Amino acid sequence: MWRRLFATVPAFRAQKAPCRSFKSSRRSDKDVFEEVEDQFRAFRKKAVKAMPGSDWSPFELTPGLPPERADVVIIGGGVVGWSIAYWIKRKERTRGALRVVVVEKDPTYSQASTVLSCGGIRQQFSLKENILLSLESADFLRNINKHLWVTNEDPVDLQFNHSGYLFLASEKSAHVMEENYSTQRYAGAKVVLLSPSQLKERFPWMNTEGVALASLGLENEGWFDPWSLLNAFRRKALSMGVYQCFGEVTGFRYSTQIAEVAEGDFVDFRRIKCVNVRMPNSLEYQPVECPVVVNAAGANSGKIAAMLGIGLGPEESVSGIPFPVEPRKRFAYVVHCPDGPGLDTPFLIDYSGVYLRREGLGGNYIAGMSPEETEEPDISNLDVDHEFFQEKVWHHLAHRIPAFEKLKVSSAWAGFYDYNTFDQNGILGLHPLVANMYFATGFSGHGLQQSPAVGRAIAELILDRGYKTIDLSAFGIKRIIKKKPILERNIV
Amino acid sequence: MLKVLIPTIMLFPTIWLSSSKWLWTTTTMNSFLIAFISLTWLKWTSDTGWNASNSYMAADPLSTPLLVLTCWLLPLMILASQNHINSEPVNRQRMYITLLASLQTFMIMAFGATKIIMFYIMFEATLIPTLIIITRWGNQAERLNAGTYFLFYTLAGSLPLLVALLLLQQSTGTLSMLVLQYSDPLLLNSWGHKIWWAGCLIAFLVKMPLYGMHLWLPKAHVEAPVAGSMILAAVLLKLGGYGMMRMMVMLDPLSKQLAYPFIILALWGVIMTGLVCLRQTDLKSLIAYSSVGHMGLVAGGILIQTPWGFTGAIILMIAHGLTSSALFCLANTSYERTHSRTMILARGLQMVLPLATVWWFIANLANLALPPLPNLMGELMIITALFNWSPWTIIITGMGTLITANYSLYMFLTSQRGSIPEHITNLSPSHTREHLLMTLHLIPIILLMLKPELMWGWCN
Repeated sequence: MWRRLFATVPAFRAQKAPCRSFKSSRRSDKDVFEEVEDQFRAFRKKAVKAMPGSDWSPFELTPGLPPERADVVIIGGGVVGWSIAYWIKRKERTRGALRVVVVEKDPTYSQASTVLSCGGIRQQFSLKENILLSLESADFLRNINKHLWVTNEDPVDLQFNHSGYLFLASEKSAHVMEENYSTQRYAGAKVVLLSPSQLKERFPWMNTEGVALASLGLENEGWFDPWSLLNAFRRKALSMGVYQCFGEVTGFRYSTQIAEVAEGDFVDFRRIKCVNVRMPNSLEYQPVECPVVVNAAGANSGKIAAMLGIGLGPEESVSGIPFPVEPRKRFAYVVHCPDGPGLDTPFLIDYSGVYLRREGLGGNYIAGMSPEETEEPDISNLDVDHEFFQEKVWHHLAHRIPAFEKLKVSSAWAGFYDYNTFDQNGILGLHPLVANMYFATGFSGHGLQQSPAVGRAIAELILDRGYKTIDLSAFGIKRIIKKKPILERNIV
Repeated sequence: MLKVLIPTIMLFPTIWLSSSKWLWTTTTMNSFLIAFISLTWLKWTSDTGWNASNSYMAADPLSTPLLVLTCWLLPLMILASQNHINSEPVNRQRMYITLLASLQTFMIMAFGATKIIMFYIMFEATLIPTLIIITRWGNQAERLNAGTYFLFYTLAGSLPLLVALLLLQQSTGTLSMLVLQYSDPLLLNSWGHKIWWAGCLIAFLVKMPLYGMHLWLPKAHVEAPVAGSMILAAVLLKLGGYGMMRMMVMLDPLSKQLAYPFIILALWGVIMTGLVCLRQTDLKSLIAYSSVGHMGLVAGGILIQTPWGFTGAIILMIAHGLTSSALFCLANTSYERTHSRTMILARGLQMVLPLATVWWFIANLANLALPPLPNLMGELMIITALFNWSPWTIIITGMGTLITANYSLYMFLTSQRGSIPEHITNLSPSHTREHLLMTLHLIPIILLMLKPELMWGWCN
């Protein structure tokens, strides 16, 4: 009977009637318990925002604002600035005793001298202080993971190529090189002098015509990755509690004491009370009250010094002497030469001024040259002048290394030197007219290689009252005021 | 009483109606006048102790020293704030001085109150101007946190006190100290009475502060401007001690057992805060923690309820008030010049500010209870009373004294001795105002050494 009933309705059986389910929500693959747990999870996430441990606050604070009060404000987040921050934190005897704030204008570091550097480190200077700074820094870099490793993070890899520097001297400057050699050996650098024949034997790809003497660094010289060093310092300093702030220093609040000198003139002594830090892309600024300011702003140090009136006084007075650091543009060209010198290529510096180093393992090299004083490139931008390579650099390069007659420029970039127009050496220490601003700038191209030791020196100045490891009083600002430059006797 | 209270209230029109050129001069002079008039309270004319012109406000040997301290402190606070408030618009300066004067008024009424409920209302009322001073004129973003801790710790402790006072009114019919001191001992034999005992005292223990409930104090002291720190350290903490002394009269015999944990906490706090002081890097924080330690001794002295304990407590309260306020003023002179409270960055100051070093030296010697200063007298009486109560406390109090000496010397040596960092070699020299301020703090301590009967409380 049932079969007959169903047999009369074949059409209905073929087509199922549309059937609505009783649930109003969508069908999900999870079962009831998982759904309940999901809801609990969402609730807990919302509740966390209201709990005391969260950083929700009823006042809308701009994110990234620096603290209102700090102990040391370091202007400039390059390798020198972060090195100083690290060393101050390392030398404070109680944890959390000092609040250090590093203010950096550009979070992308697009124009920072540190990351645009070729990354070389050498001890072949003529000034004992420079040699010692580089030696200490090389020692730091060789043991970098003892200093800058953070628990649970990857160890630091600087890609330090210990290939050494090779300076070439002509007849005219060979005696300077010999004197420098004895200074360097006395200070502890591992350098060796080579005659042209020894040079040819060691580096057969070189054309030794015109070379009277060469000096080669055997240890602690070479090149490394500046970005890795910057990030290593930054990561370690942040883990030690340094505050990082992205903003631009637009001015200072300072108090002035007017003193009368012997001749009856009046001198303004300034003491910085607050640093005004302006937030990026905004008019909002935060005055950070601090007792100590460190100017590690690199190419922009002169601008920061001018905000305090250094250089803006009457011409014959001390305050009329401007701070002599200004940006100078230098180019680096990456060239590809398949027949070029191999792995043993040192950082070659020719007496004509051209320099070259190996980059990587694929036949690429980085070359460059210091331009003449009268032909300084325009500093308003970081555009590369390829004509400079074609006309100046290539000629000397090809003369020195014949294989480079056939090469291809794969890319190029430009970076600023924080150029000390007075004597091209670093300026460290306090300015006589500003009571509490320490300067650590003006390294004119060798800031990166001296940054670990410079950081320690400034930390010693701030916390220990004077230099303890290397005496860098020769690099003080006094020499600029007394107009007694200490020049490097380079052969370049 | 009224001859001091009315001029204090009339300070308000003085502040708002003075011209801006004479604002600080007139307020300072007027508050000095009030301070000198308040010294007349020190002459006790009646043998029973209470100097009462009416039945609502009176002064007795317990409250007179604290009243004089309060009145003495207002001109000192105004002197100390003159420099850092100067840069603000005039009306804000007037507001600041009004808050200080209102604190003075509330505290005169608190210490002079005979009705305990009046004391309670004034106790609570002092919270508001202090909160405004901390959160409006403090230096950093952390001051909001500090204000919250300060307000809510004290409020949480004092709500039970209100209930306890109402219960007391219900059971005895009066809340006047003049009457209650002669009433029969209350029958306190149930659990409810034990909780009532705790309710009476917790507010004052939090205010003192007792070691376990002291978290608000370092925050409030560090974030407050100098006048706020001075009034907090010198007088507001003593409100707690004074309240405890008044309430203990009617809390017998429960106190004999129930006071044990609090005495132990107080004594333990002396050692712990002393050790914390040795590790502090912030100067004001160090002085704040030392306040906790000293007041722990005071709390111990009050809770054992012996005459020497009370006497030692009140002497230590007065001496500590003046010393702590002096130390905060000195820390402020260093802060105004170097803009840092960190001890590492402002050290070796003897080379730059030699006379200030003398004040630092005397203030630190007072802090470590050097004989013959009254700080030692107070501490010694409390230690002796505690030893009599239980010989074992000598270990804790002895260690506490040693550690106190340790951190006081550490504070002096770090801030004054040693080589001076190069960035503070040219600080502006000390102002006469600062020397005057320190003299006015330290001369009373030295004079009190010569006539301590003024602060002995009931032991005459």
